Amino acid sequence: MIMNKLANMDRLRWIELVLLAVAFIVLLIIPQISGAATITMVSRIMIFAVFAMAYDILRGFIGVIHLGFALFIGGGAYFVGILFFHQGATIPMLLLAVVGTTIYSAIWALIVGKISGKSGMLATAMITMAFSEIMRNLMTVWRTVTRGEDGIAFRVPAPFNDRTMMFYACFIFMILMAFVLYKFTKSPTGRVWQAVRENEQRAIFLGYNTARARTIALLVASIVGGLAGVMFGLNSRFVNTEALGMQMTYDAMLYSLLGGAGTLFGAILGSTVVILFQNFLLDLRPIHAIFERWLLFFGALYIVVVMFMPHGIMGYYNAWKEKRAQKKRMAKEAASS
Amino acid sequence: MANILILLFNGISEGALYFLMAASLSVILGLMGVVNFAHGTLFLWGAYVFRWVYVYIFPNNFILAIICATLAGFLIGLIFEKVFISRVYGNIGAQIMITLGLSIVFTELVRVIWGPSALVVGRPPMLAGASHLEFDFGTVIISHYRLFVIIVGVVVAVLGHFLLTRTRVGMTIRAGVQNSEMVGALGININRYFTLVFAVGGALAGFGGALFAPLSTTITPLSGNQFQLMAFIVVVIGGMGSFVGSALGSLFMAVMIALIGWTIPDISLVAPVALMALILIFKPQGLFKWR
Amino acid sequence: MSLLKVNDLVSYIGLFTILQGVSMEIQQGEAVAILGRNGAGKTTFLRTVMGLVKTRSGSITFNDASIIGKATHKISKLGIGYCPEDYGVFDLLTIEENLVLATHKKNAATRDRIAYVLDLFPDLKLAYKRHARTLSGGQRQMLSVGRSLVNSPALILIDEPSKGLAPVVIEKMALALKEIAKQSTIVLVEQNFHMALIVTDRYYIIDEGRTVHGGLMKDLENDKELQQRHLGL
Repeated sequence: MIMNKLANMDRLRWIELVLLAVAFIVLLIIPQISGAATITMVSRIMIFAVFAMAYDILRGFIGVIHLGFALFIGGGAYFVGILFFHQGATIPMLLLAVVGTTIYSAIWALIVGKISGKSGMLATAMITMAFSEIMRNLMTVWRTVTRGEDGIAFRVPAPFNDRTMMFYACFIFMILMAFVLYKFTKSPTGRVWQAVRENEQRAIFLGYNTARARTIALLVASIVGGLAGVMFGLNSRFVNTEALGMQMTYDAMLYSLLGGAGTLFGAILGSTVVILFQNFLLDLRPIHAIFERWLLFFGALYIVVVMFMPHGIMGYYNAWKEKRAQKKRMAKEAASS
Repeated sequence: MANILILLFNGISEGALYFLMAASLSVILGLMGVVNFAHGTLFLWGAYVFRWVYVYIFPNNFILAIICATLAGFLIGLIFEKVFISRVYGNIGAQIMITLGLSIVFTELVRVIWGPSALVVGRPPMLAGASHLEFDFGTVIISHYRLFVIIVGVVVAVLGHFLLTRTRVGMTIRAGVQNSEMVGALGININRYFTLVFAVGGALAGFGGALFAPLSTTITPLSGNQFQLMAFIVVVIGGMGSFVGSALGSLFMAVMIALIGWTIPDISLVAPVALMALILIFKPQGLFKWR
Repeated sequence: MSLLKVNDLVSYIGLFTILQGVSMEIQQGEAVAILGRNGAGKTTFLRTVMGLVKTRSGSITFNDASIIGKATHKISKLGIGYCPEDYGVFDLLTIEENLVLATHKKNAATRDRIAYVLDLFPDLKLAYKRHARTLSGGQRQMLSVGRSLVNSPALILIDEPSKGLAPVVIEKMALALKEIAKQSTIVLVEQNFHMALIVTDRYYIIDEGRTVHGGLMKDLENDKELQQRHLGL
C-alpha cells in the first residue's frame, strides 16, 4: 500500500520528502562530525524553533500579539537556574523546575487571556510588553537570588552536561513539541483558532466558543514556551535578565514571521535561517566593525520581511504549491471534458 | 513631610515628560490607529541630538540645541510615517512589527554613532541652581531645572489644547480621531493629517528627550524605554486619543509613582503596570472620561 | 446627460465579493431609491461609489468621468455628498464645528449655505453651539444630511435615513429630503418603503449584490407581488 502511495505521489512531494529525510539524517549526525560550538549552536536553533512555534500558535493561529513572550523563555530559564544554583543540579530539581515553569506559564496565560478577551489587539500588545518588563525588573532587583543583571552560571545534571546528549535531548524535544503543537492545530480547537483569526465576530455567530479557544491557545503556547525556557537554561548553563528581555520576544517574532506566520513549521525554518545568518555576520566582524552591530541587521530584516514578504518563506511556498495544484486540476478537467 | 513634597515635585517634573510623550502617542493612536513602538526611540534621538548640539555644534546654546533636537524628532517621525507606516495602514499586526523594527534599528544607530556607554549632559547655568524653601516641617529643595520642565509642560499642554480646540487643523484632527473615514468623505485629505500628526508627535517626543537630557544628566541608549512604557500606561489611563486625558493621566501617574516611591521604592514599576492591566480589564476607555 | 452611471460593478471587502454586478443610471435632478433586503449590498454600493470599498471590475462614471480608484476626498470634492448609515457625526465637535468642517472655503457663500441648512433643520439652529453627542438620533440624522448640503453637491448619497427614527421624525425627514431633492440629485438607500415613496420617483432593487429590478416608484407602489418578492414586505 505504501508502494502504491509512493508511486502516485508527484515529483514535488518526492523532493520534499527527500529533503526532510536528508535534514533529519544531517541533524542526527551533527554531534559526530562537528565541534562543541556548532553543536551548541544547533541545539540553540532547535530550542528557539520550539519557542518560535509556540509564538506562532498565538500570532499565526489565534491572532494574539503577545509582546511579553520572553516571560516564558526567561521564566523557564530562571526556574532552572535558580534551583540548580541554590539547591544543586539534580534531576529532582529539574523536575521541580518543569513543574514550576508549567504553573507559572499557565498563570500568565490565564491573566493575558482575561485581558485580551476584553481589549483589542493593541491593548494586549502593550500590556504584555509591560508584563515582561516588570518581570525583568523584578528579577533585576532580586539580586540575592538572581544576581541581577550579572546573572548566575550553574552546573546541570547528567546526562545534560554532555554536549552531545544535550543535543539529542533538544532534538527529541523539538520533534515532540512540533508534533504536539501540530496535533493541536489540526484538532477541533485548532479549527476554531483559524476561524477566530479570520473573523472573530463571525466565529462567535457560528457558535464557536472563542473565549475557550483563546484560553487553550494561550495555555498551550505559554507552557510550551516555558518548557523551551527550561531547555534554554539547560543548554546555556547561565541565566541573566536578558532572558526576560524584549530581544527574546523580538527573536520569536522574527523567526515565526520569516518562516511564515500560521504555518507552524515555518518557525523552524525561520529560526534556522536567522541564527545561521547571525553567526555568519558575526564571522564577518574582522572585515568591518559594522558587523558587530547585529541588531541593525536584525531590525532591518524585520522591516524588510514585514513590508515585502509578510507571508514568510513557507507562506509563499505553500501558496505556490496551491497554485500549481490548481493549475493541474484545471488541466485535468479540461482534458477530461 | 518635606521629603514627600520633594518627591511630589520631582515626580511631577517627570510627569511633564510623560505628558509630552503620552499626548503625542495618544493623538497618533486615536487618529491613525497606530501604536508607535518607536516613540521611545524618537525621545532617545531627541536626548542625543540635544547633547550633540549642546556640546559640539553650538556649544552651550540651550535653546538652539532644543530646537535641533525637536527638529530631529520631526524629521525622523516624518520619514517613519511616509516611508514605512503609511504602507501598512489598517494592518495592526504589521504596524506593530514595523514600528518595533524601526525602534530596534534606530536605537542601534544611536549606539553606532554615539557609543553604548552613558554620556554626561550638563544643565544650562541659568537653570542649574536650586532654591531652598524653609518650612516648619523642614526644607523643601526646588530644583530650578525641574521647575523649568514643569512650566514647559504646562505651557505645551495649554498651547496644545488651544490648537486642538480653536484652530481648523485642530478641529479636523479631533474629528479624524473619532472617524477618519468620514473626514475623507467630507473632502479633506486625511492622509496629509496623518503625516502631520505623526511628524509633530515625533517632534514632541524629541522635545521631551531634549528636556530630559539635562534633567537626568546622563543618557544611555536605553533612556527611551522607560518613558515609552510610561507613555503607554498614561495613554491607557487617560483614554486613547485624548489630549486632555494624557495631561490628567500624566499628573496622576506622577503623583502615584511619587507616593509609591515614598513607601516601597522597589515596586515602583510594578504598580503602574498592574494599574494598566486592571484598567484594560475593567475600564478599557480610560479612567478619565473626558477626551 | 446622466450624472452617475454604474455598469456591472463588482466590489469586495477582504476575501468576500459583496457586489456581484450592479448597474444603474441616475440623471441630473432625479431622486432615486435603492431598495432591497438586509445585507443585499446597498450600503456597500454607496461606499463603493465613495471609494471606501475596492472594486474588482465594472465602471462608475460621474459626469462622464470615471471615479474608480480615486481617493475618497477627491470623489467628495467632485460634488458627491455622503450620509452614512451611522450618521458619521462627530460627537466631540459642536454642531457648528461639524458644519464648518465640511466647508472648504470661509466666505459669504458658505455662510449662506450654513444658514440655509439651519433654516431647513431648525433643531440644529437651536443646538448650534452644543456638542453633537447631546443630539437625539433624529437630530443626528439632520446634522448628517445638513452637513452634506454645505458644499451644494450635485449628488447626495443617503444611507437609510429613517433607521431607528420615530415615525413623526421620519415624516419630517422625508419632507426635508423632498425639499432638498429640488436642488440636488439624490440617491436614497432605504428599507422604509413609505419614506422612499414620498421622496423618490424611481427605484432600483439590489438583491445579493446585483441589480435585479428597476422602474418607477408609482408602479412599484401598486405591484404588491414585486414588493413581497424582493423587499419581503
